[in-house]
Amino acid sequence: MPKPATLVLFGGSGDLTRRKLLPALYNLALQRLLPASFAVVGAARSAQSDDAFRRELHDAVAEFSRTKPINEEVWGAFARNVRFVATPDDAGYDALRAALDRVDVEAGTNGNRLFYLATPPQAYAPIVRAIGKHELRGPGWSRVVVEKPFGRDLATAMELTGVVHEVFREDEVFRIDHYLGKETVQNILVLRFANGIFEPIWNRQYVDHVQITVAESLGVEERADYYEHAGAMRDIVQNHLLQLMALVGMEPPAAFDDRAVRDEKVKVLRALRPISDREVGARTVRGQYGRGYIEGRAVPAYREEKGVAADSQTESFVALRCFIDNWRWEGVPFYIRTGKRLPKRATEIAIRFRIAPHRIFTKDASEGLEANELVLRIQPDEGISLTFGAKVPVQGLRIRTVNMDFVYGASFMVDAPDAYETLILDALRGDATLFTRRDEVEQQWQFVDPILGAWSRGVPALATYNAGSWGPTEADTLIERDDRAWRRP
Amino acid sequence: MTTGIDEAVWGAPVPSIAALERELARLRRAAGAHAKEQSHSVARATVLNLVVYADRDTHALRAARATMRLSNRHPSRAIIVYGDREREGADVAVQLHCHAPRPEESSQVYYEQILARVRGDADDRVASVVIPLLVPDLPVFLWWTGTPPEEARRFDDLLAIADRFIVDSSDFARPDRTLPVIAALAATQRGRRFGVTDLNWTRLTPWRELVAGFFDVEAWRPCLDEIVGVRVGFGVDMDGRDIHPSQALLLVGWLASRLRWRSKGSLAPSEAGGLLFEMARRDGARVDIRIRPRFERGIEPGDTSGIRLQARHAGSLFEFVLKRAPDPHHVTAAVVVDGATRSIRVVPLPSAGIEDLLREELAIVGNDHVFEEALHALVTLA
Repeated sequence: MPKPATLVLFGGSGDLTRRKLLPALYNLALQRLLPASFAVVGAARSAQSDDAFRRELHDAVAEFSRTKPINEEVWGAFARNVRFVATPDDAGYDALRAALDRVDVEAGTNGNRLFYLATPPQAYAPIVRAIGKHELRGPGWSRVVVEKPFGRDLATAMELTGVVHEVFREDEVFRIDHYLGKETVQNILVLRFANGIFEPIWNRQYVDHVQITVAESLGVEERADYYEHAGAMRDIVQNHLLQLMALVGMEPPAAFDDRAVRDEKVKVLRALRPISDREVGARTVRGQYGRGYIEGRAVPAYREEKGVAADSQTESFVALRCFIDNWRWEGVPFYIRTGKRLPKRATEIAIRFRIAPHRIFTKDASEGLEANELVLRIQPDEGISLTFGAKVPVQGLRIRTVNMDFVYGASFMVDAPDAYETLILDALRGDATLFTRRDEVEQQWQFVDPILGAWSRGVPALATYNAGSWGPTEADTLIERDDRAWRRP
Repeated sequence: MTTGIDEAVWGAPVPSIAALERELARLRRAAGAHAKEQSHSVARATVLNLVVYADRDTHALRAARATMRLSNRHPSRAIIVYGDREREGADVAVQLHCHAPRPEESSQVYYEQILARVRGDADDRVASVVIPLLVPDLPVFLWWTGTPPEEARRFDDLLAIADRFIVDSSDFARPDRTLPVIAALAATQRGRRFGVTDLNWTRLTPWRELVAGFFDVEAWRPCLDEIVGVRVGFGVDMDGRDIHPSQALLLVGWLASRLRWRSKGSLAPSEAGGLLFEMARRDGARVDIRIRPRFERGIEPGDTSGIRLQARHAGSLFEFVLKRAPDPHHVTAAVVVDGATRSIRVVPLPSAGIEDLLREELAIVGNDHVFEEALHALVTLA
């Protein structure tokens, strides 16, 4: 159980707070995982009363909680220690300090404070500076959780870290990448390092290639303002995809703690072979969706979405052919792709092994046989499956690929906790293992920046794809050049 | 508006694909929990995706029954697309239903059935419903009931995701037009793993085995190169109106492709819906082919009723005869030389219900080259 603390929520009336943070906190309360003394102080520019804030949060929890209906007893007790302070100016921050000191006494939170930046990114620096200037750090521990995006390139990321370091030490900074909070993502480490049978074959001797897919069927929805400036590369690849790649590719850490795990991850990120200007045409694909159909419904093209420029060059799809230049992975391609308006929502990592070295079965018998594949499904239907060849039960020999499926929901009969529950709890405990360290973020930008640079000069050209397809044909070409094909998630 | 969908058969409607996956996951858990109480386990041992396209509700129902009974041998996720095109002009809508019926014979295999009913003119959006429903990694079998259209987006889009395509040419309205389309498909999809099959071909399997069996006898093998006539009979209904010669044509296509006969002149209709034509043997000699409809009780229209191969060898007339006798479930195989019976045996015909045929076909993932060549030979006749 974490120690008593106050969660100071900047962006207290924002979308993230309503959809994710509050439902996560409520579900933690429901599982009796919150500290014995725990308070939430919301802060935002426009004023509202404590009661109005509580009502707003109640409605948000009722709508978005993964457990329903809402348990009013638990909510009532939780809401008693929820406050709101408007912070439009210096006076507001002074009021916030006074409120935090009061909460320490009233709720017994020992002066421990977790600052959570759930605001638009341009507000991060002013808020952090205000925390410093108005001495909001309490007498106990102080930590800050920073939402993505952390910068929009290497320079701005370093600049933001500089500002944060004016007030917090690096070990007090928790850069959130909610993918890392997902059960299956943590299970990548468990699968690899708690089992004896996988690690010996987890290398270039046995692995033919790796595919990582992050597919969404949604379009840009209400986020056009943000997305137009970010694109799929900054929204998904720079953080989630590269983190997944690091977890798949990393060496075994000496311990499961924040230092050892992140040391190993950053080594992989450093070993990523840069994509040079010369190669950017052959190793990257950027695409944007046109009109099409999703689940039987007609959907508009990206450029027809609300808030998107009619000549927008923003990519909604990215495919890359990556290499990790070290002894373990030399020559093993990592194909990664992400996109909006793909046929289904699916995040998965597929490890494709080499085919058996010598074929003893006839071509006819083994026509249905493919190389073994280990698939880690992250969402939906979290689970792991392994394909292998088996004999079809008929006279004579016919081999076909079958699936051995492990589905979390079916094995443990419980719902997996939401990523935000895991991560908030970790931040309250002070465990930064699942958060991104400064050097990781910087390495990720270092890899991505030159690609974005070439793209901004129009190389390669922006490809289009129909909504509801698996991306532009250029993405197929990218992988078919190596005589391989994307799998169907 | 009434849905017209029998929820006892298809399960309750669900509003979205996400809701459908949640419902199936719930059913899986329920099955798992129930099984634990009964101290056995339920395996979700799905080995394939079976996509069925039907444009009549009777076909959809028949397919649903067949795929459920198949689930013991071929546990699958069956996605039945019912293209309700009679409602053209109505609002375009996709309605999803799902359930996980327990096949009577087994309580251990888990089987999922999904109905996607696509109403109105929704050709270009059918695939967008099917693709997200496919279980990853597993091969996709597409079973098209009825006559495949010659040109339709729903057809092309579903073909593009299929590893194997199953039709039943006995259902074709105009086999002479549709069989060439099927033959062309096998050719155009080359370059990726894609197999085509016809359940009518599967029905021929025992007949082909029996024909081939004659020539395992060394003394009779030379007759293969000296065939002068082929007669094939196929069933028709009593008033002789339902003429489905495609199975018989496939059999001739098979003989032609194996023995490398060439077509010579085109098909000529003969009496009562039959066909009469000539082919040229490898040595150029003529083979007379006669395909005749026959009404016999107990034989489905279109099914083979008998085969007679005639060969002139060493100055004698050899006849290799297969006929349904003493009843439609047995075949008598006889060799007659100059009118005298030299060999006779009776073998049972395996039952050929739609499930039996599918069961065979679902075991094959790759191409059936012999079928493709037979089809190709047949098409050159037309």
